[in-house]
Amino acid sequence: METTERPPIRPKFSIHNLAFFYGSFQALKPISLEIPEKKVTAIIGPSGCGKSTLLRTLNRMYELYPGQRAAGEILMDGENILDPGQDLNLLRARIGMLFQKPTPFPMSIFDNIAFGIKLYEKPSRGVLADRVEWALRKAALWNEVKDKLQQSGTGLSGGQQQRLCIARAIAVRPQVVLLDEPCSALDPISTARIEELIAELKQDYTIVMVTHNMQQAARVSDYTAYLYLGELIEFDVTDTIFLKPRHRQTEDYITGRFG
Amino acid sequence: MNPLYRRRRIVNAFNLGVSMLAVAFGLFWLAWLLWTLVDRGLGAVSLHMFTHTTPPPGSAGGLLNAIFGSFLMSALATLIGTPVGVLAGTYLAEFGSRGWLAPATRFINDILLSAPSIIIGLFIYAVYVTQTRHFSGWAGAFALSLIVIPVVLKTTENMLRLVPNSLREAAAALGAPQWKIVTMVTWRAARAGIVTGVLLAVARISGETAPLLFTALNNQFWSANMNAPMANLPVVIFQFAMSPYQDWQRLAWGGALLITLAVLALNILARVLFREKNPLR
Amino acid sequence: MSSVSGTICGVDTAAESRTASRPFLPGHHKRQSLYDLLFRGATRAFASLVLALLLGILLSLVWGGWPAIRAFGWGFLASAEWNPVTERFGAVVPVYGTLVTSFIALLIGIPVSFGIALFLTELAPVWMRRPLGTAVELLAGIPSIIYGMWGLFVFAPIFAERVQPWLIEHFGSLPFAGVLFGGAPQGIGVLTAGIILAIMVIPFIASVMRDVFELVPPMLKESAYALGATTWEVMWHVVLPYTRIGAVGGILLGLGRALGETMAVTFVIGNAHRLNFSLFAPGNSIASALANEFTEAVGELHSAALIELGLILFFITYCVLALSKLLLSRLARMEGQQS
Repeated sequence: METTERPPIRPKFSIHNLAFFYGSFQALKPISLEIPEKKVTAIIGPSGCGKSTLLRTLNRMYELYPGQRAAGEILMDGENILDPGQDLNLLRARIGMLFQKPTPFPMSIFDNIAFGIKLYEKPSRGVLADRVEWALRKAALWNEVKDKLQQSGTGLSGGQQQRLCIARAIAVRPQVVLLDEPCSALDPISTARIEELIAELKQDYTIVMVTHNMQQAARVSDYTAYLYLGELIEFDVTDTIFLKPRHRQTEDYITGRFG
Repeated sequence: MNPLYRRRRIVNAFNLGVSMLAVAFGLFWLAWLLWTLVDRGLGAVSLHMFTHTTPPPGSAGGLLNAIFGSFLMSALATLIGTPVGVLAGTYLAEFGSRGWLAPATRFINDILLSAPSIIIGLFIYAVYVTQTRHFSGWAGAFALSLIVIPVVLKTTENMLRLVPNSLREAAAALGAPQWKIVTMVTWRAARAGIVTGVLLAVARISGETAPLLFTALNNQFWSANMNAPMANLPVVIFQFAMSPYQDWQRLAWGGALLITLAVLALNILARVLFREKNPLR
Repeated sequence: MSSVSGTICGVDTAAESRTASRPFLPGHHKRQSLYDLLFRGATRAFASLVLALLLGILLSLVWGGWPAIRAFGWGFLASAEWNPVTERFGAVVPVYGTLVTSFIALLIGIPVSFGIALFLTELAPVWMRRPLGTAVELLAGIPSIIYGMWGLFVFAPIFAERVQPWLIEHFGSLPFAGVLFGGAPQGIGVLTAGIILAIMVIPFIASVMRDVFELVPPMLKESAYALGATTWEVMWHVVLPYTRIGAVGGILLGLGRALGETMAVTFVIGNAHRLNFSLFAPGNSIASALANEFTEAVGELHSAALIELGLILFFITYCVLALSKLLLSRLARMEGQQS
């Protein structure tokens, strides 16, 4: 792995020799990179290259599935999150996550957001209502749902549902938000709104997103990592990756000559 | 640690513990039951059981006539029930996309699938036994066939729905008429699944007692006459187990073990067959 | 027929060339559409047969029970008398027994089944899930007569000796509830029947619940875990609400089974037509009354009364099963929308 310049900003995650296994299959060759704080880092690469796998090590979501394990070190603010003694619930409470498809819980819009807040805090009703409103405003959804907070979250449109999920994720005030192809199930207009939102959120949160859409990576990310067959080919400032990549492989993928 | 979080962790650990206790509780009874069955049943199973007919109280005997009767009636019930179930299931999957008949049949079939089997016995009693004026092997076979039909119908429909439409279209594109598409392409593709359904149905009827009580009744002697009351394992087990005679109770346990093994074997066979032979999975 | 089919399927090249020169075979075509019509008609007829079956059952029960329906009217449902000698019959005792045993079965069976389903979907190590799940499914297929025998010969004696005296001592003197635990410890009775039924429906409900829980999209569960929720919270706040309708459907399916269960109950309920609120007292359920008395019924009215009981049972289970079917199909539709 080579970089033109070290990111001048403090890293949120420092990943050292991270390898990942599905049973005996190695999905990630030892990877090292530093994900900068309060920036958008995009992970791109062809399907099956290990993009989502890498993302899911950051909140150890893979732990839900036996047979999957990670080796190496991921330091989050200097603390190794792969440490077996790490409390997964507390870790995940600091890291929000969004998925390919919107995943509203089967409860009202209000409860969808209050659910996460109430896991770690016991706010009074008024405070809770304020937090819900704050999160919905942050996710640019408040004006659309303020009159139907008690209705089911599953009744919203796809784009609204995804913004509801963003509100739900940031309502617990995480430090990091992981996005796993968050727009893959959305129409172009909803996608544009989510992208605007991502640009706004990076002022407060470290954002790591997996995307198969290179234009999207170019539009919204500050840094980009290109993965191929479980290997990190290149990691750099997004402009560099897209304008003058150092590796032939990266260039081929970016320009669509891949494969 | 955040006290709220500590409480949540305790609640979590407690509930997960309770869940495991539930597993232990449920399995405890079932293990005990199976152990009793093997313990008491094995002592009663012998070659003698397969070569002699049911004895009068106080003397030795076997279950030959009951085994034969159960076998005969189950076989006939399967022969009657399978074509009906397969054809009706075919209608639901292949032709029933429009109109009210298919949804109504599907709904009713699901009800029949779990309807009390003793009601089926009552029905056959009312329409067949009272007309012929005697209990008979045929009545028993009819009652069992009414239990076979819903099971076969349901699996047939489900399995046919798994057949990709492209296969039907490919056959239609060759100019094949619909009846040939169904019988020569769709049925074949779903064959393993349909056979699984039939096996499950046989497993289900081999242990059924209630529908035979007022149809086949029972027969102490060897009889292959389908128009006369016919001995069968479940009813013999019922009568012998409820009797005060030690010999009969022993035979009942032997029969119970036999039935359970047969049912388990059929179920396992159905699973293995489905997993190995089904091209649709 | 086989020669014609050769041209249709194009196996025989000679036949193919023949068709090429003569693309239409009007006679053949007409015959094929006749076969199509016949085949479709046959499948349709058998589908209608299934429909007619339900109607037939209903009519035959009404017809068979008519003498009793005429003799007792609605009073049948309100009378606790059951006397073959004076030919006075009422449905209260068996209906009460049926409902109470099923209620006890669900009371025990639901939480245990939920625990097993939770364990099977979320907690068990993966290598254990499949064998354990299969074992539960296989247990659901064990003939009910086995449960009845075990209840009578093994469970009831131990229950009478060890558990019932303790229950009588501790609960027998409670106000109101005490009446449930009164009487002598006989082993067989309504409570025993309920417990045996519970043991029987547990594998059944557990495997339906497990199937239902597995319908929850993994992503939905992951979203809850991503917020820092514990396994229990994911189960209770996300999986259960998502599958609520289906879980209730599964429970009702189990209830339908418990209500109509004959053999597991007949062995242990005691077969007594006396109204007694003690759970230790012998009682009767509709199915066990039928199993015990039907072939020995003397007189038209006795048989008719039993058939009328069957009609009541059929009606109750029909309602329960129809409701369960409705709920389960609602869940399936919800699932369809989500993915």
